[in-house]
Amino acid sequence: MNVLKSEASEERGEFSHQSTFIGAIAIADMLKTTLGPLGMDKILQSMSGVDSLTITNDGATILSSLSVDNPAARVLINLSTTQDQEIGDGTTSVVVFAGELLRMAEQLIARGIPVPVIREGYQRASAAALAALTESANANDGSEEAFREELFRIAMTTLSSKILNVDKKFFANMAVDAVLRLGGSTNLANIQIIKKLGKTMEDSFLDEGFILDKQISVGCPVDLKAEDPEHPLRVLVANTSMDADKVKIFGSKAKVSGATELAAIESEERRRMRDKCARIMKHDINCFVNRQLVYNQAEEEFAAKGVMCIEHADFDGIERLSLVLDADILSTFDTPEKARVGTCQRIHEIMIGEDKLIRFAGVPKNQACTIVLRGASKHLLDEAERSLHDALAVLSQTVKDRHTCLGAGSSEMLMSLAVSREADEREDLTQVAMGSFSQALENICFILCENAGLDANTIVAKLHAAHAGGHKTAGIDIVNGCVGDARELGIVEALKSKRQMVMSATEAASQLLKVDNIIRCAPRERQQGQ
Amino acid sequence: MAPTSSAKSEDVRTTNIAAAEEVLSAIRTSLGPRGMDKMVITGKGDVLISNDGATIMKELEARHPAARLLIELSKAQDVEAGDGTTSVVVMCCSLLHECPNLLKMGLHPSVISRGYGKAAAKAEEILDSMSIDLDLDPSNVRKTLITAAKTSLSSKVVSQYSKWLAPIAVDAVSAICDPLNDDNVNLDDIRVVKLAGDTIDRTELIKGLCFPRKVSHVANGPTSISNAKIAFIQFCLSAPKTTMDSSVVVSDYQQMDRLIREERRYILTMCKKIKASGCNVVLIQKSILRDAVSEIALAFLAKMGIMVVRNIEREDASFVCRTVGCKPIASIEHFTADKLGHAFIAEEIELSGKRMVRVIRDDPALPQPEHSAKTITVLVRGVNKLILDEADRSLHDALCVIRSLVKKKKQLPGGGAAEIELAMRLDEYAQTLSGLESYVVKAYANAFELIPYTLAENAGLNPIATVTKLRSEHNKGVTMAGIHVKKGDILDMRAKKVIQPTLVTSSAVKLATETAQMILKISDIVAAR
Repeated sequence: MNVLKSEASEERGEFSHQSTFIGAIAIADMLKTTLGPLGMDKILQSMSGVDSLTITNDGATILSSLSVDNPAARVLINLSTTQDQEIGDGTTSVVVFAGELLRMAEQLIARGIPVPVIREGYQRASAAALAALTESANANDGSEEAFREELFRIAMTTLSSKILNVDKKFFANMAVDAVLRLGGSTNLANIQIIKKLGKTMEDSFLDEGFILDKQISVGCPVDLKAEDPEHPLRVLVANTSMDADKVKIFGSKAKVSGATELAAIESEERRRMRDKCARIMKHDINCFVNRQLVYNQAEEEFAAKGVMCIEHADFDGIERLSLVLDADILSTFDTPEKARVGTCQRIHEIMIGEDKLIRFAGVPKNQACTIVLRGASKHLLDEAERSLHDALAVLSQTVKDRHTCLGAGSSEMLMSLAVSREADEREDLTQVAMGSFSQALENICFILCENAGLDANTIVAKLHAAHAGGHKTAGIDIVNGCVGDARELGIVEALKSKRQMVMSATEAASQLLKVDNIIRCAPRERQQGQ
Repeated sequence: MAPTSSAKSEDVRTTNIAAAEEVLSAIRTSLGPRGMDKMVITGKGDVLISNDGATIMKELEARHPAARLLIELSKAQDVEAGDGTTSVVVMCCSLLHECPNLLKMGLHPSVISRGYGKAAAKAEEILDSMSIDLDLDPSNVRKTLITAAKTSLSSKVVSQYSKWLAPIAVDAVSAICDPLNDDNVNLDDIRVVKLAGDTIDRTELIKGLCFPRKVSHVANGPTSISNAKIAFIQFCLSAPKTTMDSSVVVSDYQQMDRLIREERRYILTMCKKIKASGCNVVLIQKSILRDAVSEIALAFLAKMGIMVVRNIEREDASFVCRTVGCKPIASIEHFTADKLGHAFIAEEIELSGKRMVRVIRDDPALPQPEHSAKTITVLVRGVNKLILDEADRSLHDALCVIRSLVKKKKQLPGGGAAEIELAMRLDEYAQTLSGLESYVVKAYANAFELIPYTLAENAGLNPIATVTKLRSEHNKGVTMAGIHVKKGDILDMRAKKVIQPTLVTSSAVKLATETAQMILKISDIVAAR
């Protein structure tokens, strides 16, 4: 009997498992090659727009631009998006690990091990792995300098897998400086990233002010400086129409009998604009920033009074400015005493490449800063921005949490051994499932080596032996192609990111395993002409 | 996974390299002074003749992602150095060309990428060590810069005119900055105006403004004013118009008379005010709302002996104001003498049947203050649009070359001398390395031979004989030896004055390496939404 609508479909039992495994493993396999410091990049070629081309190895970016039809693949994509929002990094590893867990589960199911047992085994294994990971973590409760060093190492690790690899020291320092300025806040909106074509990556810089990519109006002063630091410059941030201040009464129309009267109306209109400018200047300001256009007349009014005028600063610009300068975005100007006007020490034009930009220095929210990225091509700049954003996200999380763990496959191997020790003590079938979990963790190390073009089998075996022999900080030395000490190599990651990776991958895998029926609803019918 | 497709990483790499070679074969024949031109028929049906790498690449409209990266590369070199846009693509493709062999040997792409990075750092060192410092003697500076500009122009369609264009480019740059002491030039301050007709050698430098606008001829207004007092106005010289809808209601003929009288009086008051300020040239910004200036106003101004130029774009306001030193005036009430700019002469000239407005800032008879001008205009001439466009592009390249020298005051020999030296020195360097990297650096070194090889080939010389001779000269320690294309021989490039800025070559090496690394690292092309 047909219960479902005619176009709906249903996959049950083995079939549903199969489609889960196929989808999830396909996604994981696709991402696999981008994992680790020597992971490869992918070109994302858009099917809709011809001109959009993205080159990236950021897991979240790749996945979010895919269009997939498989439900399990969707779950993994969500997984990576969540990781991106929570931590900002580890978006590739979480998907690859979930894929490995499912690959192992497929083999277990083939061996006839029931799904609930696999899930229980995975849960136990995950608990054991997390316990071992937390135990190995570094709490960083020492001096601030030591903590800064640790942050620097985290940034180095995050960036090493990105396009900024070449100048990672430079960018790691930049990211750490920027995050430390935030003073514990995780609001990355305070860090503005500007991309400018030209020069090379090394010419990027961190500016301790706010940079607005706009022009100062003609005739206005181009360099304002507060004489006395106690009396900073006053900046009014506004969103108001400064073109022709239209009489916004619908359908209003003036009827006159001659040019004199018409001229009177016109001059009245001009007077209104002049009044508006006067009202704005009553706020005792040095600089006026508007989201909308500022027309010639108003521009001249401001210029005549020596007020710097910046037009068309768009939404993003004024919102950041209001945040950074601690100002309200004003639209009415009748109560100067109530309005919160922004302050800063200096406003001037700077040249970056071939463009002129406006710099606000000495802003009250000292947390704010701007990073200017330079690079050879648009693709490079876009990818650099993504990479830097990841690093900033991880660092800001670490400033809050402070715990760190080791990278370079060291933590994975450590967890793998801990899980396998725990498994040895189990007497039921969960032992096998836990063994598989342990194997999945080891596979991550394997992929790391493989992507680097190293002899994966030998190195993973050596790493395994080193950990089993009690060398708990052993990790893969990608550069020299051997087993080294991850602590000495300075490869450190945020504990939160690693924990999150294990937890959410396990959760997603066991959630997918529990599915035994996929029902695809009939697509909603669209009416013709819609 | 319905609509996505993914190819195996090795296939992807092979096709990427194949695509790069495709681009290479299209563009390499235009390298060097004897390089050929390409005729590109754009999608719109326009025809374009050029041998400027960046221009050709831009018009290619390639579909393949790797080819599009090369286009970006050429664009980046254009932004960075403005010249060497063909060489950078040839270099990058040549670097990629070496890769299949390395990959076949079993080297991992990331190993190749790392090796390339190492070699590029070394290449930078080598280039620096073989550069010649710019002659900083103030009396020679102009000559040195002209030589460099000539080298850049020698490979263009307009090469026979380099004698005229090179000094113009140098003078334009040195008018707005001091090439010896400044370290950057804003090329936006140099405006290039193109006018068809006459030949390229009539191209001239105008210390002031020149724009293809007409002076108003209503009521025989003046068309030439010396000792000009210039105002730039942004308000309208016409009957009043309100922003809100308005209509004038006329009920009988007397009212109509009055209406016309009133309008005349209104405009006359404005014109009188302009006259009172001492202004004798009015530039009027274009208005989108209504007529910027009415016929009556033009007639009044003409009678008062004031020259009027209409329809100036708002974007040009800043350039115009900076040139003549005036301030924009947005309302008649603010029309005062302190907002006026001054110029030696403002006049309408007629060139090849086209009327132009020319404003010359300073009296040419007086000694010109050096490096002090805020802006400068170059009026480019040429017999047809194709030549004109190409002259414009070539002039831009020459300006960029001079800017490169201002930015980094070092030069390299041209004619493939730098490249062959790089190839040989990197080869030596490769032998000091051990392991896989040695192979990679060797391949990297090898790739640079393609530039002198192509130069020779394009010049109709025997490429193998020429390159081997070049090699042997360099082996003897003559680092300045290069291919003198016009003489068809290996000569000292420094003596023959074939010299280019170090910045052009070093940025080409850096950018080409970066792009080659990027293409190598791509393992997959994924179809996305």
